[in-house]
Amino acid sequence: MNRTNALIELDAVTKSFASFEVLKGISLSVKDGEAVCIIGPSGSGKSTILRCINGLIPIDGGRIRVGEIEVHKLRSEKEMRPLRHRVAMVFQQYNLFPHRTALQNIMMAPVQVLGHDRREVEERAHRLLAKVRLSNKADAYPGQLSGGQQQRVAIARALAMEPQVILFDEVTAALDPETVKEVLTAIRELVDEGLTCILVTHEMKFAREVAERVCFTDHGRIVESGPPAQIFDAPQDPRTREFLGQVL
Amino acid sequence: MQWPLTYHEKKRVVQLAIVLALAGWIAADALLGGAAYWQRVWLRLPLLLTGSGSGWPLTGGFALNIFLGLGSMALAAIMGTLLAFGMMAKSRLVRLPCFFVMNFLRNSPWLVLLFAMLYIIPFNVRLFGVSIAVPAFVKAVIGLSLPTAANFAEIIRGAVQSIHSGQWEAARALGYMPMAIYSRIILPQALRRMIPGWMNLYALLMIATSLATVTGIQDVLTTLNTLLSMENERVIVYFYITTLFLFFAYCYPIALLARRMEQSVKGDTL
Repeated sequence: MNRTNALIELDAVTKSFASFEVLKGISLSVKDGEAVCIIGPSGSGKSTILRCINGLIPIDGGRIRVGEIEVHKLRSEKEMRPLRHRVAMVFQQYNLFPHRTALQNIMMAPVQVLGHDRREVEERAHRLLAKVRLSNKADAYPGQLSGGQQQRVAIARALAMEPQVILFDEVTAALDPETVKEVLTAIRELVDEGLTCILVTHEMKFAREVAERVCFTDHGRIVESGPPAQIFDAPQDPRTREFLGQVL
Repeated sequence: MQWPLTYHEKKRVVQLAIVLALAGWIAADALLGGAAYWQRVWLRLPLLLTGSGSGWPLTGGFALNIFLGLGSMALAAIMGTLLAFGMMAKSRLVRLPCFFVMNFLRNSPWLVLLFAMLYIIPFNVRLFGVSIAVPAFVKAVIGLSLPTAANFAEIIRGAVQSIHSGQWEAARALGYMPMAIYSRIILPQALRRMIPGWMNLYALLMIATSLATVTGIQDVLTTLNTLLSMENERVIVYFYITTLFLFFAYCYPIALLARRMEQSVKGDTL
């Protein structure tokens, strides 16, 4: 791959929690507008990769670059701010703020962190709620929404930061099968609009449909990566084959 | 009511039985000559409540206990908040001493702390050449506020740490700075979980104000002791039961309200 036009670049990233080595040298590059899915067994470091990209977890070795920001050199939360503006994240447990309504959840950070004009942000928030088909839930508190609705609000909240990249961390893992679809539909629209997305997912069918590239991770390494057709239909590595054999 | 009774119905029945037994016992006692003693208690009640025989002005008695409780709670709130933030500080140099102070105060008997303050704090404080007298009441407020502050701080810390770590992660991912995360996201949620704990603590503190009699202030117990020296021995028990009831009547509604709030706060996690 041509590395110079990559938007996100990870180079030999390592990370240990105490004595447990979670990432053993991850190298990955993502182009602007690309949708990349990361699949693999539990504990293989998928979520850690995402958290390293937006600086939630500091890395031990290697380099991470997002645009012109060199993530591994950032030391304080203050220095991370431009990165957080550029890279948004959606979590498995939604993590909406329960003491604020859906609309307030979406508006908070753009107004309080980015200092955008309140009226303009409110317009944006309503537009985003319409986009995730929750216009009628603007004044509902997270506790009054179903899991799928909460996750769609979380997606709208991430979009309200007007990010260049969104990281999705197993966003459907805590949902029941019926609501998974509505969340995946929302994500698919974003990918179709050309937003750069990195998704950690267990939804293999979804990964195959939306991803331009699929990476299979195991024991802290990217074992195999390539277009979905190649990974799912003709996996080269025996471990990929074994994993897919179990989940498909 | 349907058979079998639910847990709450059984509780009500037992509570009702206790109240009826108590009322019956008091009534029987009153018929057997207790009425005269109650008469004496009734006569002295304004003195017990306010420290003056006519009921005004408020110079002591149970009213002083209430002032003492409120004063100690206010001081404890300030000190406890500082202590709590100290315990949650990033720097070990701040955190560890704060933990030590909190554990020391929380694990000391209240009465011992009160005595300690009584002797540690001087009668006169010289400040910029002016000598200021420290009344016993101030010493009692400080002595009672120390253990309360430690408990107050623990309630804050417990509530803050009970907020799901995902809230921190989400706030950081949205670009919030640590201070803003506390003030805009963590504390508004944690405050709701702190209030019942604080109310329980206040009820406990109110009960503990009776210890302040050792400082010599004219609180309800001191007043009671002075008063009893003029009464005959048989009536003493009636006075003590009345004093007991004063504390109960003041603290029980607070504890009850706190428990109700605890129930309503439950389940708004995540």
